[in-house]
Parts: sequence; C-alpha cells; structure tokens
Amino acid sequence: MTLIHVGGDTSEPQVFGDLLDGERALPQRVEVTLTASHLTLTPGEGASQDWPLSQLRSQPDQAHPSDLMLSLAGDPVTRLVVRDREMVRKIEAAAKSLGKRPPTQNTGRLLGWSVAAVASVALIIFVLVPAMANQLATFLPPSGEKALGDTTFEQIRNALDDSGFDPVPICESTAGSAALAKMEARLTENLDLPYPLTVRVLDHSMINAFALPGGYVVFFDGLLDVAQDPDEIAGVFAHEIGHVVARDPSRMALRSAGSNGVLGLLFGDFAGGAVVLFLAERLIQANYSQTAEMNADIFASETLEKAGISPLGLAQMFERFRELGGTTPDLLEHFMAHPDLMSRIERAEASASAAPFTPSLTDVEWQALKTICD
Amino acid sequence: MSDALGTEFVGRKGPYFWLSLKTGLLTILTLGFYRFWMKTRLRRYMWSAIRPGGHPMEYLGTPLEKLLGFLVAVVFLAFYIGIVNLILMFASFSLFAGNGAAYALSFIGILPIIFFAQYRARRYILARTRWRGIRFGLEPGAWGYAWRAALHWLATIATLGLLLPRQVFYLEKYRADRTFFGDKRLHQGGDWKILYPAMTHMMIGAIFGAGSLAVGSTSHEAFLFLLPVFGLWFGYGFVHFRVQTLRLLTSHKTLGGIALKAEPRTASVMKIYGVGYTLVYTVVGGLLFALFILLFASIMTMIGSAGALDETFDVELIQSMTDTPVWITTVLTIMLYFTVFLMWNVLSQVFIGLPLTAHYAQTLSVLNPQALTAIRQRPRDEFAEAEGFAEALDVGAAI
Repeated sequence: MTLIHVGGDTSEPQVFGDLLDGERALPQRVEVTLTASHLTLTPGEGASQDWPLSQLRSQPDQAHPSDLMLSLAGDPVTRLVVRDREMVRKIEAAAKSLGKRPPTQNTGRLLGWSVAAVASVALIIFVLVPAMANQLATFLPPSGEKALGDTTFEQIRNALDDSGFDPVPICESTAGSAALAKMEARLTENLDLPYPLTVRVLDHSMINAFALPGGYVVFFDGLLDVAQDPDEIAGVFAHEIGHVVARDPSRMALRSAGSNGVLGLLFGDFAGGAVVLFLAERLIQANYSQTAEMNADIFASETLEKAGISPLGLAQMFERFRELGGTTPDLLEHFMAHPDLMSRIERAEASASAAPFTPSLTDVEWQALKTICD
Repeated sequence: MSDALGTEFVGRKGPYFWLSLKTGLLTILTLGFYRFWMKTRLRRYMWSAIRPGGHPMEYLGTPLEKLLGFLVAVVFLAFYIGIVNLILMFASFSLFAGNGAAYALSFIGILPIIFFAQYRARRYILARTRWRGIRFGLEPGAWGYAWRAALHWLATIATLGLLLPRQVFYLEKYRADRTFFGDKRLHQGGDWKILYPAMTHMMIGAIFGAGSLAVGSTSHEAFLFLLPVFGLWFGYGFVHFRVQTLRLLTSHKTLGGIALKAEPRTASVMKIYGVGYTLVYTVVGGLLFALFILLFASIMTMIGSAGALDETFDVELIQSMTDTPVWITTVLTIMLYFTVFLMWNVLSQVFIGLPLTAHYAQTLSVLNPQALTAIRQRPRDEFAEAEGFAEALDVGAAI
C-alpha cells in the first residue's frame, strides 16, 4: 500500500479502508482514524461517521491472515474492511467486544420445532412403525419371509465377522448336523409350522442364539461350548422356534426397515452413520421384544413337554446366561434382547411337571453337536 | 477501472486444516449435533478466501437457522421415510421375494425430493452469500426444478447419455435464470449443443470400452486388456466434461452488462485429484499403520514384561489376552473408525476441496465491472427452512 502523507505535521500515516454500505456494489474508500472511543470513517466527500468502539464487531473465520472485516452491532449489512496491519492491531487492542455475537433469535421457534421433531420421530419409531410392522408381518407370504431371512442372515454373517474379509463360517460336520436334525425333529413333531426350519450354527464365540424371518434358527458356537447338557440347547431351540411361530423376526425386520430410515435422517452422515445406526437400532429392539420373549418362553416350555424333553434345560440355560452375564462385561450382550432372566428361570422351573422325560440327545450325539465346528 | 476483475484466493491449507479438524472433532463428540456449526464455519472461511477484484465473498448463514431448518425437515420427512420405507420393504418381499426392489423403489421415490432439496439448498446458500455488500438470491421454484430434473434424467438414461449436455445445460439455465445479484438477474446464454465437444473423451472411453468388451468376450480375449485403458479414459473424460461444462456455462453467463469468464483447466483439476487423493490415502494409511504398530508393540510389551517376571510363557497367556478385552477392542474399533473417518474428511477438504476451489476461483474473472455501479441491494430472503431438507437427506451436504 502506498502511504500518503498529508502535510508535514502528521506523524501518523493515513490509513484507508473499504466501506461497503450494503446499498450499492461499490466499495467506498474512507480514511480510518482511531480515537479513544470511536473509529472515525471519513470519505473523500460527504460526512464522516463515528463507529463506537464498544459496538465494533469482527467477522469470524476469515481466511485472510491480516485483513479485518468490521461491522457495527445491530447493523447486518454495513461492512468496513481494514487492510493496514498496524491499524488492525490497534483496533483489535482498543475494541474489546470484537468477538461478541448477536443474541440468539427465534429461541421459541427453535424450541417448538425441536419438540415437534422429537415427538414426530418418537411417534413414528415407537408407535406407528411397530403397529404397522405387527400388522404387515402377518400378511407376508412365506416365500417373502424366507427371502427376508436369507438376506438378513447374510448381513449378520458379514456384520459379525472380526477379520473383515469373509462372512462368519457355518459349522456343518456330518455327525453334528445329524444330532441337530434329530433335536429339530423331536421338537417340531407336534408343531404346525408355516415353513420348514432352517437351522444353522455359526462359528463365533458369542453365547447366544437367534431366530430370523422365514424359519431361521441360528446358534453361535459359543452357546454350544458353555452348554453342559443337550436339554439346555433344546430349551433355547424351542424358545427360538417360539419366535418363528409368532413371526417376531419378520416384525423386527419390517420395523427396522422403517426406523432405520428415520434414524439415518436424524444422525445424518456425520460419521458414515453405520456404527451409530447399528447401536441405536439395537437399543430400540432390545426394548421392543419384552412381551415377545415372554411368549416365546411359554411356547418353549409347552413344546418341550410335548416332545418329552425336560423344560429344566431351559431354566439351566437361563441360569448360565445369568452367571455369564454377571462375570463377563461383554458390551454386545447388553444389546442383545434378553430381559429379566430371573423371572424366566422361575417360570421354567415351575412348569417342569413330573412327566417322564428322555434326554433330547444321547451322549454320543451331544458330543458330536458340541464339536460341530471342529 | 480495468476491463476485467481477476479473482484472488487467499485460503491456506494450515488454518483450514485446523478449522476443519477442530469442528470435525466437535461434530463427532456431539453425535453430529455440531455439524451445523461446522458447516457454517467452514463456509465462512471458504467464502472469505474467494476475492473477486480483491473483495472477499461473505457467508452470512447461521448455525441455528440450519438447525431450525433441519428440525422442520425432520418433522415432515420422518413420516415419509419411516412409513414409505416400511411399506416398500413389505411390498418388495411380498411381491418380489427380495429387497432389491425395495431399495430401487425407495431411491426412485426419494429422487424428486432430492432435486427439490438441492434447489432449496442452493436458494439458501445464495441468499446468505454477499459480495461487495450485495446479496445474491434465487427465486423460489424448487418443484419446477424437481420435475424438470426428473424428466431430464429419464431422457438422458433413455438415450444412453447422449442427451446429457441437454440436461446439464437446461438444468443450469433453470437455476441461473432465477439467480440474482442485488437487483439484477443473471442470464444463462449459449445453447446446449455447445457442450457436446466437452463430451468427446467420455464418448471415446465409453464406445471403445464397450467395443473392446464386446470383442474380448466373444472372440479375441486380448481385447479385454484394453478395458482398463478405456475405463481410465472414461474417468478422465468425465472430469473433463465437468470442468469444461462449468467453463462454458460460466463464460456464457451475463448479469446487467457484466459478463463472467471462467478458464479452469482439466489438467490442473486432474492434478489436484491425483496429488490430493495420493496424499489422503498415504496419510490415512500411514495413520492406520502407526496405530496398528502401536497396538502390536503394546501387546509385545505385555508379553515381554510377563516374561521378565519369570512367568511361564505359554499359550494360555496369549489366549487370556486375546479373549478378555472384547469390550476394549470394541471401543478401540469404534474410536479407530471415527479417527479414520475424521481424518479422511479433514484431509480431503484440505488437499482436494481447498485446491479445487482455489483453481476455480483463480481462473474466474468479471468482465465489464463498470456495470456494477448500477447494481442495488435486494431484500433479505428470510427462508427459515434453510437447507434442512438437503441436510436431512444428505444431498448437497458438502460445503
């Protein structure tokens, strides 16, 4: 910048700035002088104006390292750009409220819409979507449920994979599969299922089992490892068949199709969304299946009795879940849907009448099942 | 005054890196809530870095109006998305026994809303942009844009891309002819056929790529080796098309006697992409590698210290280490995911977003700037919805 000295007596060089009046697209060149209380802007012709230092504001996050873009509090359009570094330094030292932001406007509207947004999302996720899913699930044709199950099963195999390369392998040793088939035959003998079951064992250490739409019952190898008696597995098996018969998995799948979209909307893409979505969705589902779990338990104890298998196995398995749940801080277990195990144990024990029971598998078959993944 | 105003770009990688790192971190820590502030601050920086004729652009959007617009959009979209997704999923599995149809239908169903949202987002951004103190603006017209965009896309797909220039031209003309700077209206001149030459490289890539695939899969397998060549050629052609259509469209825009001239170069843009992605991949890859080494070293130290304590070094020890910390590895994995995600975003902003903006800015000039004297301010467009729909749908969400 060319420094222009006016007269011989001024020790301070003149400093100019660009004044944008917010009316015309023409920056006006003004002389900028700093007094104790004001910044005075003097145009070449016309009246000068005084900007009180206490009212000066600077625009934040500006790219230029030294330019200062100033405005007056309460005036949204007028701007003054000062480029002289020395003057910028002086103004920054003299004006104390440069960084002060205008007061928040529309607080009421913001609150109103926040409440409306939360209410509408809650209404949709907790009322509308579950109600519709419950209704629609009963109308899904078996072939549709099977397709839904196939898709979900593959997704779960991929999601649970730790290595990041292949889906979790399915275990199917000949003797183990035969033992599992025998157990299935005993349990489903007296049942009228809408479709044949698809029973799978996944080579994963998680201690759990789950059902999927279309008759999928899936065990994790971890569950087979901790079980000490085949009746325990039979109990869990019957429980999962209970979910299949009630079409709980189809409801869950339809429900998550609806709520996933809404949750995706809320969290946006701030982190690829996937992880947060997965966790949030898990939390919602664990809450959702309380009644369904209870009904599956009742179904399981009845089915076991009809098949001549002791329902105590179910109780023992719950006991084991509880013991394990107490000792291993497995994060994922909290998200898996298993509400108040104690009451379920009590119910299973109460329902074990004095009827004659035979073990669900022979010792040889049980050993084969336990080693199905080896 | 000279006959043309050039454009300076004063943004620098260092400050921009810290700004996007800081705001990105806050966004992750607040489960995405801070993203409205992040976007506002990044835009303020980027806008102020672009200085046509030495005067910075100014971005005046506020985070709270974005939040408000987002909440408004959520109220409306939550119903639509929740219910429609559920019904589509049901219909798709009942009728087609698969979810492919659901995804396709749900995507097609949402497309008009996406176009709608893109137009509204542009209206918001222009309404909050000023240069020399004068506001830009865009007339309402989002639904008109949405159905036009849908039809143009259909025509382009039906003609295997031959009508792409027509689509690009008319959609830009629709937006440009509704754009204002102060009280003067922008005009998109030219004709859609001027965009055809820009398609040359894309056509070469597509035609010869398809040809070598056809010949290669039927008679001469050696032709399949040409496929990657023409694939890359097509990729180059795509970038070339984007850059050159921007150049042609901008250079045919006028506003009350003022004309624009853009001279971006495909080679420079390609270089920015090449260098930028190499750097981003290298740094993120290096980061991952360093974390991996760190983890490995700490495990080794644990084993080493166990050995020093004269404990027997056996399989059980390793077993106990690989077994116990399931939740630790889960937390570590989530942290790692967020770290990589954050660094990816920040670095691509800094090494690709910033240089690209710089290039487009520095090759832009304003012709006949004397006509700026006649321009007067336009009233503020309140537009409380802001870019809420675009934000909720993740479209045009980039700054």
